[in-house]
Amino acid sequence: MTMVIPIGPQHPALKEPEYFRFEVKGEEIVDVDIYFGYAHRGIEETFARRNYKHNIYLSERICGICNICHSTCYSMAVERVAGIEPPERAKYVRSLILELERIHSHLLWLAVAAHQIGFDTLFMLAMRDREHVMDMREIISGGRVHSATNAIGGVRRDVTREQVPKLLENLDKVERSVNYYINLFQTDRTIRSRCEGVGVLTREDAIKLCAVGPVARASGVKTDIRVDDPYAAYPNLSFEVITETDGDVMAKGMVRLREMVESVKMVRQILKEMPNGPLRVPVDLKIPPNEAVQRVEAPRGELLYYIRSNGSEIPERVRVRTPTYASAPSLKPMFVGGTVAEIPIVLWSLDVCFACNDRVTLVDANTGKARVVTMEELRRWRS
Amino acid sequence: MNFLEILQFIYNSLVFPGLLFASVIGLLYIGIDRKVTGHLQHRIGPPIWQEFLDFGKLMTKEDITPAAAIKPVFVGAPLLALGSLAAVMLLLPVASAQPSLRLTADIIVIIYLLNIPAISMILGGYSSGSPFAIAGAGRYIVQLLGYEFVFILSIATIAVKVGTLNLTDIISYQTANGWLLLDWKLLPAIVATLIAAQGKLLRAPFDIPEAETEIVAGPLTEYSGPKLAIWRTAYNVETIAVAALLVSLFLGGPTPYTFGNIQIPAIVDFLIKTFLIVMLTTVVRNIVARVRIDQALKFYWTFGVLLAVISMILVMVVP
Amino acid sequence: MVKILPKVLANLLRKPFTVKYPYEKVEPADGYRGKPSITKEKCIRCWQCIRACPDRAISIDKETKTPVIWLGRCTYCGECAEACPTKTIVMTKNFEFLDQYEK
Repeated sequence: MTMVIPIGPQHPALKEPEYFRFEVKGEEIVDVDIYFGYAHRGIEETFARRNYKHNIYLSERICGICNICHSTCYSMAVERVAGIEPPERAKYVRSLILELERIHSHLLWLAVAAHQIGFDTLFMLAMRDREHVMDMREIISGGRVHSATNAIGGVRRDVTREQVPKLLENLDKVERSVNYYINLFQTDRTIRSRCEGVGVLTREDAIKLCAVGPVARASGVKTDIRVDDPYAAYPNLSFEVITETDGDVMAKGMVRLREMVESVKMVRQILKEMPNGPLRVPVDLKIPPNEAVQRVEAPRGELLYYIRSNGSEIPERVRVRTPTYASAPSLKPMFVGGTVAEIPIVLWSLDVCFACNDRVTLVDANTGKARVVTMEELRRWRS
Repeated sequence: MNFLEILQFIYNSLVFPGLLFASVIGLLYIGIDRKVTGHLQHRIGPPIWQEFLDFGKLMTKEDITPAAAIKPVFVGAPLLALGSLAAVMLLLPVASAQPSLRLTADIIVIIYLLNIPAISMILGGYSSGSPFAIAGAGRYIVQLLGYEFVFILSIATIAVKVGTLNLTDIISYQTANGWLLLDWKLLPAIVATLIAAQGKLLRAPFDIPEAETEIVAGPLTEYSGPKLAIWRTAYNVETIAVAALLVSLFLGGPTPYTFGNIQIPAIVDFLIKTFLIVMLTTVVRNIVARVRIDQALKFYWTFGVLLAVISMILVMVVP
Repeated sequence: MVKILPKVLANLLRKPFTVKYPYEKVEPADGYRGKPSITKEKCIRCWQCIRACPDRAISIDKETKTPVIWLGRCTYCGECAEACPTKTIVMTKNFEFLDQYEK
């Protein structure tokens, strides 16, 4: 006999509202249904009602954790639509804040993962060390979370020479603690007993279900937009694409932790090699009809923006595909066959971000019920 | 039994060392535990009287019984737990080597009474009608099977060593021959007792029945208001009771000391020793992650039992 | 388990990392985007700020004919300060105004 355990829409394992319906037999998970759409805010429609410049700040608000990825991806998509090339220094500043964002996002991942397996001390310590990265972001962009650094055709703020020593000092602290966490994560017996062999995503499944980012890399799929489709200053930076082969929670964690070390190296390289020059080029926001797709490697994986312009200052359509949405199907093979105790850590091994995710829900105005849109309906609407 | 003895019994069970004393010390110890946890995690932590504030706040809240719950069991479970723990405190030596209530084989009664809170928590969980509570209660049963065997086996080892099932006799044996902690033959059993106590007190890595990220609060999910306050108090008293039992078993029990001219009463000794045991569990719970229930059971039935059995063989074979 | 023990015990002896914020003031970094301040005398009434604001948080005060910022809508992006030709609007370091209400 199976019993249904509802995880969500409100549950301590979830940091945002989303509904997972688990069918369990004792402690074993037999099936899982995933219902998305609880954090829908109508952002894509709002995009089509504001001009290109104002939309930067809207795109930052899609997700708080990876707001720079969203605004960078949006700005670069608009630049591609308008056919502008941002100056070199702007590209380096973008890469700098993107890498800082990766470090802080992965530290947040580590903290919450530790909390999910009941290791609250590691949670507190990781959150403490994340504070150094937040300080660096405040120095560079003037805001701890929302950077507001990107602009169409460049960046708004510069990294001055006076800021560099303080940044390097904080970076050293972060690097020391990240190395310590890698060591701890690999050797601590209780962590390993909870993470090894749990939530396995095989290489075949990862390719078949189109997993992106660290989830795919932990299964041995070498995919990284920074290499596959280079943007910003990444062609000039030297870094290694981290892959693991096991595909379990441990591998996903190790990919993220080792990526942080690479990011720290990259931040150092950027601060050293940053070229001088202008920060932004003037842009005419009346963009002629055109369309473009831009991809960015967000901390969670591949982030995709599609923009269609129609000659006015307002985009006709902006489509956002976030990494969580792309990776969500791979949750099912990770869950099924596991136990109830694994749910939080396996779910979090995907680094789920539902606020990014939910932008389309169909609600019947008469009955107030949400329903699923079939592929047929979508085809009909498009034509 | 004359009138004075009855009055004495009521005083013992309600004020000292029963309900009131145990609750106050228990709340204080858990408050210190939370403060120390905060500092171990490099933060400030709550003030040490936080548990009293929580208790007061919960007492003023609305008393809710869910419609799906079986009311008598749901309401009775926390009272049963607290009552049995107050009874345990009567049997444990607190102010002197003599407990307030003397029985011939009181260790068996103590072990039995210390299980009642766990069983009433399971009953409360099953009666509340919440899937999380049922999952938590199921886990608690499995965990009970895990730690209880180790706990009883290692206490039995100590009893075999001393040759009695009476706590007072164990303490007087220790007064004569030194603490049992210092006996190398009993060391594995004492480690096993501490591991079992960690599971008994639902502290990490064995806080599986109330794992908050998995099953909300386990059996206590539906409890709120005064009933939750009673549960918290019962848990805190359980911490004291288990610590007091361990102190009596291998730390020599409460004994008075004399430093120069100053007399240190046995109660101070008791408080220091129980505090050390509570702090040990606090440090352990802050350096480990929660294990899964199957891993916990496997750990207890292999490692825990092995330690206790080794000790038992050593005690029986080595002269 | 054993590896984290010395770190944890060392934390017991160190001063907590937590800043007792309301009692201990925190100075934000230079260039922090706090509460925007408006110097009414400098305003030349070009209304660039209104055009630049992504949240439509800036309106015109009917009496003085100067911009007013509705802080409830403002996202503190600093676009208005950047657009202002006379530095009428500047972003200050002040972030402690959540208990005050200003129109």
